[in-house]
Amino acid sequence: MSGGAMSGGAMSPESGPRLRVDPIACAAVGVCVQVAGAVVDLDRWGYPVVPTRALTPGEVEQSDRAVRACPRRALWLER
Amino acid sequence: MTVEMMAVPLQAAETPSPGVLVHPVRLPRSGPADPVHPVTTERLADHVARLGQRPRGGPGLVDVIERAGLTGHGGGHVPTALKWRSALRRVDPLTVVANGAESEPVSAKDATLLRQRPHLVLDGLALASETLGARRAVVWLHADDAGSRRALEAALAERRRARLPGPAIEVVAGPVHYLAGESTAIANALAGGPTLPTSRRPREPDAAPSPRTLVQNVETLARVALIARGFANPQVTLVTVLGPHDRQVLEVPRTARLGDVVAATGGLRAAPPQAVLLGGFGGTWADWAAVADLPLDEAAARGRGLSLGAGVIAPLRQGACGVTEAAAIATYLAGMSAQQCGPCLFGLPALASGLQRLALGRAPRRERRRLDEDLGAVAGRGACHHPDGATRMIASAMTVFARDVEAHAHGRPCAGAGHMVLPVPASARAKMGPVR
Repeated sequence: MSGGAMSGGAMSPESGPRLRVDPIACAAVGVCVQVAGAVVDLDRWGYPVVPTRALTPGEVEQSDRAVRACPRRALWLER
Repeated sequence: MTVEMMAVPLQAAETPSPGVLVHPVRLPRSGPADPVHPVTTERLADHVARLGQRPRGGPGLVDVIERAGLTGHGGGHVPTALKWRSALRRVDPLTVVANGAESEPVSAKDATLLRQRPHLVLDGLALASETLGARRAVVWLHADDAGSRRALEAALAERRRARLPGPAIEVVAGPVHYLAGESTAIANALAGGPTLPTSRRPREPDAAPSPRTLVQNVETLARVALIARGFANPQVTLVTVLGPHDRQVLEVPRTARLGDVVAATGGLRAAPPQAVLLGGFGGTWADWAAVADLPLDEAAARGRGLSLGAGVIAPLRQGACGVTEAAAIATYLAGMSAQQCGPCLFGLPALASGLQRLALGRAPRRERRRLDEDLGAVAGRGACHHPDGATRMIASAMTVFARDVEAHAHGRPCAGAGHMVLPVPASARAKMGPVR
């Protein structure tokens, strides 16, 4: 994806793990933003917005916490 | 119209390619795809006399289709060989679907094809099924498309009587809904679930595999039936052109220009339109003057940030209000959400009501800002592409009708405001009343 490096800044790798949301499973519970606030943002309806680019190692650690914490199992890491 | 000297493309030495329609038709502006002057459905004997028997499908056909450069005619324009090759890489049971549930309310080209030449589509489905070793072959329709169903069932009966070799073909009707033609919704329905889009996510390790489904538009399969018989891919496409009094379905070369196609349907007899909606309600608005010379070629359209989608061409006359049209369409699309994903469930109604207020000249500046923000918040965040189509349509309307948007935002709706021109289904129109 050509936009990856641009949107992620110089530190962000081109390829690598990405955080994904299953928008059907998601019910806007919001635990993800509490455990991974640096990676996950909420829209004005309370649904998570995640970066479309590859994650940095620090972000992967946070994302992993969000994946495990989601009661709807709506998040996963794509490696 | 100017006469241009155009470079003649290199002609293939093969027999000239026949089209997929018997002839173009004129239809009412909305409603089922029954033409004003009924067309006789092509009989099996005439079909075979015209084209000969179809060959048997096999892996070699994928190469033939690849060389022909066939891309999907359902709106996505994905190379057909790419989909078939990826299907061939797996061995679990496969269902092949001929998708005749065209959901764009203006579009009538698939239903027209099914009414005129069901055998061509059935040949294509049989070829796909044999090539991919499918377990099941299905023609998928909207439940209210009685004309297509009648033509298909009569054609299948003819084939049984003639003992034509080939896979057994089922005709299955899905609900009458905008999303009933979405490929994951079809797959879900045929696997015994509800007709709703599903998420594309990796399967849980312990979950049972869901049956594989390959969905191909009916026009694409009709073209497969011709290519498999040795005809060159003629680089033509079916389009539905909306006129002031009717719709017309015709087959046009991809080199034809948008202006010439609209002129051929009588759409330029009065003043040229101010704008055109390309691809349908989930498509893109474009300024007429900027696209009148656009060839009906997807690559050319994408070069200008547009897409031809499934070939819907809906011109908007001078004096009509683009903001009102966009608001009505957005309202329709919001009502057609599967309501499974938050950004679509909450975002589309928010966008629709923001546009409605803008259409009425009652959207203050901060409301316009919110519209822009919501467009960004909704695009790309659904399981299916429904919210993407809606935001694309709205964003393009905001650009193409920028001057009107400005006037409306200052509380001065244009003269055409409130008078809808495009045939947006009545349920959405009803919701367009004054905002209390």
